[in-house]
Amino acid sequence: MMNKTKKLWKPFSDVVGRTLPYSTSRRFETYNPNNTSSHLSSSSQLQILNLCLPHCFSQNLIFSGKNFSSESAEKFNNSACWNCNAVPKATPFLFCECCRSVQPLHHSLDYFQIYGLDKNYEIEDENLERKYKDWQKKLHPDLVHSKSQREREYAAEQSARVIEAYRTLTNPLSRAIYILKLEGIDVNEEETVSDPELLTEIMEIREAVEDAADSKALNEILSPVQEKLIQWSNSFANAFRNQKFDEALNCTRRMTYYDRVNKEIMKKL
Amino acid sequence: MDEPAYTVVSDSETTGEEKSSSAFPEIAIGIDIGTSQCSIAIWNGSQVELLKNTRNQKMMRSYVTFKDEVPSGGVSNQLSHEHEILSGAAIFNMKRLIGRVDTDPVVHASKSLPFLVQTLDIGVRPFIAALVNNVWRSTTPEEVLAIFLVELRAMAEMQLKRPIRNVVLTIPVSFSRFQLTRIERACAMAGLHVLRLMPEPTAVALLYAQQQQLIVHENMGSGSEKIALIFNMGAGYSDVALSATAGGVSQIKALAGSAIGGEDLLQNMMRHLLPDFESRFSNHGMNEIKSMGLLRVATQDAIHKLSTQTAVQIDVNLGNGSKVSKLVNREEFEEVNQKIFEKCENLIIQCLHDAKVEIDDITDVILVGGGSYIPKLRNLVKGICKKEELYNVINPLEAAVCGAALEGAVASGISDPFGNLDLLTIQVTPLGIGIRADGNNFVPIIPRNTTMPARKDLVFTTVRDNQIEALVTVYEGEGEKVEENHLLGYFKITGIPPAPKGVPEINVCIDIDASNVLRVLAGVILPGCPHPAIPVMEIRLPTVDDGHGWCAEALHRTYGSTIDLETVQKKI
Ligand SMILES: [Zn+2]
Repeated sequence: MMNKTKKLWKPFSDVVGRTLPYSTSRRFETYNPNNTSSHLSSSSQLQILNLCLPHCFSQNLIFSGKNFSSESAEKFNNSACWNCNAVPKATPFLFCECCRSVQPLHHSLDYFQIYGLDKNYEIEDENLERKYKDWQKKLHPDLVHSKSQREREYAAEQSARVIEAYRTLTNPLSRAIYILKLEGIDVNEEETVSDPELLTEIMEIREAVEDAADSKALNEILSPVQEKLIQWSNSFANAFRNQKFDEALNCTRRMTYYDRVNKEIMKKL
Repeated sequence: MDEPAYTVVSDSETTGEEKSSSAFPEIAIGIDIGTSQCSIAIWNGSQVELLKNTRNQKMMRSYVTFKDEVPSGGVSNQLSHEHEILSGAAIFNMKRLIGRVDTDPVVHASKSLPFLVQTLDIGVRPFIAALVNNVWRSTTPEEVLAIFLVELRAMAEMQLKRPIRNVVLTIPVSFSRFQLTRIERACAMAGLHVLRLMPEPTAVALLYAQQQQLIVHENMGSGSEKIALIFNMGAGYSDVALSATAGGVSQIKALAGSAIGGEDLLQNMMRHLLPDFESRFSNHGMNEIKSMGLLRVATQDAIHKLSTQTAVQIDVNLGNGSKVSKLVNREEFEEVNQKIFEKCENLIIQCLHDAKVEIDDITDVILVGGGSYIPKLRNLVKGICKKEELYNVINPLEAAVCGAALEGAVASGISDPFGNLDLLTIQVTPLGIGIRADGNNFVPIIPRNTTMPARKDLVFTTVRDNQIEALVTVYEGEGEKVEENHLLGYFKITGIPPAPKGVPEINVCIDIDASNVLRVLAGVILPGCPHPAIPVMEIRLPTVDDGHGWCAEALHRTYGSTIDLETVQKKI
């Protein structure tokens, strides 16, 4: 850690271009810490709002970063190792087994491809953690310390992407939003559900959370919330499988609400 | 034998970074600087080896005595009696003091140590001094640590017969990034380059991962994922980590830590034996120092004995006709320190919660550090984790330094034909990082226990109409209010286009790169404009220096809330 490289200052474009453009899913991971206060309604508002990052800011940065980036991955031949020119034996090609060098990042690869999965919403994730670790063992920046500056940058990018992909795929909600995005459907997170029944239910859950005396009480509120999450996740899977994207979109919005209260409860526990 | 002479370079901010260029990779050594003891280890080509000093000790007391003209530390000093350390001439517990301001409770708790710790309680560094020929001579924790490290380095160089430059150091989980810069500075003063700073329990996790790999290799089986809970209690700090290990790769799931440890157990016990010990000691007279030293040694000894005995008789003559004579049993010790044990329990529970790991899924429970000998702590950890037995193939006092040495070899690019260095630890952020917003609140942008490298952003807005400047104050910690967190730095965004309050979108992005370098990027956009309104600002943190405790206050005094930020508010 705290390793001081010669270059204390990395150009902005490098820093920004290093990681992926923010997938919508990532925004769901930002959370607001102030919701343990007694002003539940206002704090829960905050929480929602944090999801509503402005449309373009990060993308803008990334975009300009990409333009500046002198070593944009796309410049390289996709089909051979940049270092030894070997043709990859397996896909995805993040790492050359021949010369054991980390390959440049290809934005065209999606998260499912990185993990060798078909583009289905339902994933058997028992192997995901193992695959994640296998990738990290090849790509993690800690392991390329003695390699060239160029390869170290590739490692930083690839490793960050593998982490991001893992995070996105292991969370049902972010996975749902991501897979819709791959279908060209952007989930507008500022859009809210106008179903009064749902809103009432959420309000009631929040009040119950506020009144909960101990972790036992919180756990009692938590389990139906998590059931709802699973239920809507299953509905999403169905809708997505049948290409009913409007319905799928509706499911993600509902999941968003339950996911949020779920996080609120988890934080109080 | 002639020892190579080293001098500590001056304690200045500008420690020139030289490039390490050698034909063959230099294996970095692992150092575990404990609050009370220190050890050093290296990968010798086939395994980790702990280095011993000339007195054949693997564990060296962490202190520096200023008695003679040349200060000497616990590595080389031929100290025969414990009381000499407690004479006021020696500085110890520097790991508890380093990087803390004089309003910190940990600093205040250090006032009853034999050397001088003076506070003004205004948020500057405390005054620390050693008693040399009846004169209080000032020093700093960094200087003391650097002197100590110079001795360690000389010892290692003599044994390894080569210069030592790169080190992996273990650090407490609860250390702020500011404290890390102090550790790095002490290392630089001692001519050492920090390759990695590793949270202590993650070093233990690395050793555990290697041991599990070995078992897998021997059994030719496929290693399934092993979840380990690691609890480490040293003299100064208690830390917890949860790691998930498979195939030599450890993903740290969560970390938790606090500045509680053996020193607190000791002080609580001293207070129990002599309720007015702090006030007796407040003027730091020669006789008081001596009697406190006697009490300290006797109490420490009793605590050690209570790990194997159920009761111990304490008899200590404090001089001036004052004496302590008491039979203390184990229950008494546990009761006196009940709060400490409760805090340990809370740390473990918090870590399990953050890791989202069920107790039944834990494969092994590893207890390390000096505290691991305390029956109460052993039972407490076993109780929470519902385990009959603790993991016992690890030396509790050597585990952290062995892990650091392994990391040193891995990070130096050394490979082992038997796959013993086929290891990787994926770290997480031990503390949340965020900024001040919504009044005096701390708003985390990267929450604690986020896998590194990490990058996250959050949008804020102005609090006043036509507000053209905004103050971004960056903190690290877990407290809800900014003052409960560590200040890392601050900067002003200027040139925000005039607009009604709440309209400009101020995006604050926090980036921790693969080398654990922290940067904050801030940009402003107005809705409807595709491009940032002003150039994006990028700041590398921490930027604060000693005395930063009053920076926040000064900022507040100067600006009030005129250039504050808020999280973006919208209706449901
Ligand atoms: Zn190749």
